[in-house]
Amino acid sequence: MEEKLLDVDIHKDYNHFVLDIQFRIQQGCLGILGPSGCGKSMTLKSLAGIFHPDRGHIILNKRVLLDSQQKINIRPQNRKIGYLFQNYALFPNMTVEQNIAAGIEKMDKKLKNKKIKDMIKKFRLEGLEKHYPSELSGGQQQRVALARIFAYEPDVLLLDEPFSAMDSFLKEKLRLELAKVLENFQGIAIMVSHDRDEVYQLCDHILLMEDGHIIQYGKTKEVFKRPINTTAARLTGCKNISKIKKIDDYHVECTDWNHLILEVKEKVSEDIKAIGIRAHDFVATNTKKDHFNYISVENCKISEMPFEWYITLDNGIWWKIEKKMNDHDSTHIIPRYLYIEPQSIILLK
Amino acid sequence: MDYSPLIVSLKTASFSIVITFIIGILAAWLVISRKNEKVKMILDGLFTLPLVLPPTVAGFILLYIFGVYRPVGKFFIDVFNFKIAFSWPATVIAAFVMSFPLMYRSCRGAFEQVDPNLMDAGRTLGMSEWKIFWKIQFANARPGVLSGAILAFARGLGEFGATSMIAGNIAGKTRTLPMAVYSKVAGGDYDGAYVYVAILIVIAFIAIVFMNYFAYKEGKKGKRK
Amino acid sequence: MKKILAYLLMFSMAASLVGCSSSNNEEEVEEETICIAAAASLENAFEEELIAMFNEEYPNVTVEGTYDSSGKLQEQIEGGLEADVFFSAATKQMDALTDEDYIDSDTRVDLLENKVVLIVSTNSSLDLKKFEDITKAGSIALGDPASVPAGQYAQEALTNLNLWDEVNTKASFGTNVTEVLNQVAEGSAEAGVVYATDAASMPDKVKIIAEAPADSLATPVVYPVATLKNSKHSKTAKAFVEFLQSDKAIEVFEKYGFSKN
Repeated sequence: MEEKLLDVDIHKDYNHFVLDIQFRIQQGCLGILGPSGCGKSMTLKSLAGIFHPDRGHIILNKRVLLDSQQKINIRPQNRKIGYLFQNYALFPNMTVEQNIAAGIEKMDKKLKNKKIKDMIKKFRLEGLEKHYPSELSGGQQQRVALARIFAYEPDVLLLDEPFSAMDSFLKEKLRLELAKVLENFQGIAIMVSHDRDEVYQLCDHILLMEDGHIIQYGKTKEVFKRPINTTAARLTGCKNISKIKKIDDYHVECTDWNHLILEVKEKVSEDIKAIGIRAHDFVATNTKKDHFNYISVENCKISEMPFEWYITLDNGIWWKIEKKMNDHDSTHIIPRYLYIEPQSIILLK
Repeated sequence: MDYSPLIVSLKTASFSIVITFIIGILAAWLVISRKNEKVKMILDGLFTLPLVLPPTVAGFILLYIFGVYRPVGKFFIDVFNFKIAFSWPATVIAAFVMSFPLMYRSCRGAFEQVDPNLMDAGRTLGMSEWKIFWKIQFANARPGVLSGAILAFARGLGEFGATSMIAGNIAGKTRTLPMAVYSKVAGGDYDGAYVYVAILIVIAFIAIVFMNYFAYKEGKKGKRK
Repeated sequence: MKKILAYLLMFSMAASLVGCSSSNNEEEVEEETICIAAAASLENAFEEELIAMFNEEYPNVTVEGTYDSSGKLQEQIEGGLEADVFFSAATKQMDALTDEDYIDSDTRVDLLENKVVLIVSTNSSLDLKKFEDITKAGSIALGDPASVPAGQYAQEALTNLNLWDEVNTKASFGTNVTEVLNQVAEGSAEAGVVYATDAASMPDKVKIIAEAPADSLATPVVYPVATLKNSKHSKTAKAFVEFLQSDKAIEVFEKYGFSKN
């Protein structure tokens, strides 16, 4: 059984920006999540060989692609790494068929034609063989780009913000399609995005990046459940974050929320600087059963969204609760207190 | 009516545009594929130089290279028994040198305008650098390349200063249409000049229209809908 | 600094346009200025040697030369240029001005002749001995007969020698004489035809093989000189013309390629 392992360690000094990345992944899909400019694309391009780090190594399935000490730097042409560009990079001067054939020019003619046919079928491009990219819709273009890559049969699939250029309806449809494609892909896939929903949906492991560095790495669900610091919390969509002062091992004072005191489940170690609470985790109640973690709801602001109510308390806390589209009456949802369970409070470094 | 200048000009312009076309593209490829910025700048300066020099100065430099007593000129006489100065090939050399920068710059600009992601995509799909240049960069730069060819052709056709320096003004051999025009005007024969001028304009116009038509058909290829 | 240069440039341009400034109206015996309007081919001989030589005898006279094509000088004189002496490169312009009564014809002397010569490069290995040997050259440079006087004379001479048709097939027509000289010097043309004075201006690059035979030119290239009727310095002007005829002046002319007529 061929072991699929990608071992990466790269470093680049680039005009006041330092890229410093180390990780190891096996078969599956890795998501890289981070704000714009954090170096996600640079990382991807380094793996593909179209960007050159100052030093480091990249080893794919025991094959050395880059080793700065031994002065090995395999050209992109020989890395067998497929790259899906943000704008798909389809060749405007070639038809769909010709684009798909671009990576397999040297193949035996019969095999090549069969491969092209297979890809056309697999990506539902029948009837479009002779069309040019400018005549295709966004979704069709992405399918052609994927077909082109899959015809090449790479060992690694790199996806650079595959849905950023689309409207939301198309996005959701294509995400499902991509999920299916990834399921059947035997190699390693890495997807870069600034959209956490995408990464959550499609990737089993996730890497959080900021300013050229990795902040957190792990299984997607775990990282989302327990982000490690405030940046990680923000990236994973935690809306309520407050700096804290430690009162004792299990109690903290939230300095950003009018000195609200909360009780937490885990022991507060010395390096904990903040806490996070997800906006959906509050429980609405009218009775106060305990001393701690009951936040009174007075003077709140209500915003109506299509499928949620957003309630903002005057200490800055956000609460979100689902609603139906036709629900417009907010009077009955406001409770006297919002209760947060101690185990729902995330400790952040 | 002496039509020999027309024949000479047509011969010279057609030969020189073929040479300029090929070498212009290669030169542009050479420059854009350099990784060292300094080397890029030096090459670019060299290739653009004839455009900036007055044609007579350029012709003077050509004379100092291809003249009978000069390095390359002497070499050709000794080894090939061929005298470049005052020969018809010298008109092609002059036309090439003066029109080359236009072709080179147009091509370089056109190549650099092609989305770099396209070239990178080719690399990740295993395409060789040469295939990438030819099938992606060049293929998508065709309009710019063609417009460069038009400029170069027109320049080669109208070339005078450098040509007269190195090729001389020999009727039926190196007397091109522009030279014939100048000769007529200097001698006060304006009617004779008008005829040559008219012929020049017609040839240039036809060539330009033809090339534009060709470019138009090329451009339609990717845009059917 | 830039401003100074600009002013200098403007000043020298203006000065060159004027050429001969209008002569001083102060009729002092001591200082005099005379203006010589002479053909361009005479400039070097005058400016480099003859004027200084004249000043050795007449130190109180400033000689200002204005040089151009004979045709232009004729136009300028007709337009009012206050020249004292006119020295043209052909009889045509002198005759025209004489007819128009500008010239003091008593002072006219057809002083110099400029020979039409066959030249080759000093590096040439061609064995040419006489003017007619021009046909032995594989490539020839001539001034364009349509516009260059030296070219017209070359055509005339060669036609009279029945060599024009053959020469014409191998001839490159230059737009001016300097071009012809350079083409011969560089070896592009194996031989060329120019004025003797032109050849003399590049002694280390070209050498004269022979002169066009005397009877091959119906009208030899004669350079007449004369004073102008309305000169305000006619005495000095005449002295200058006398000086030009002296042996030492003629020696200088010959050094520059002219022949005594």
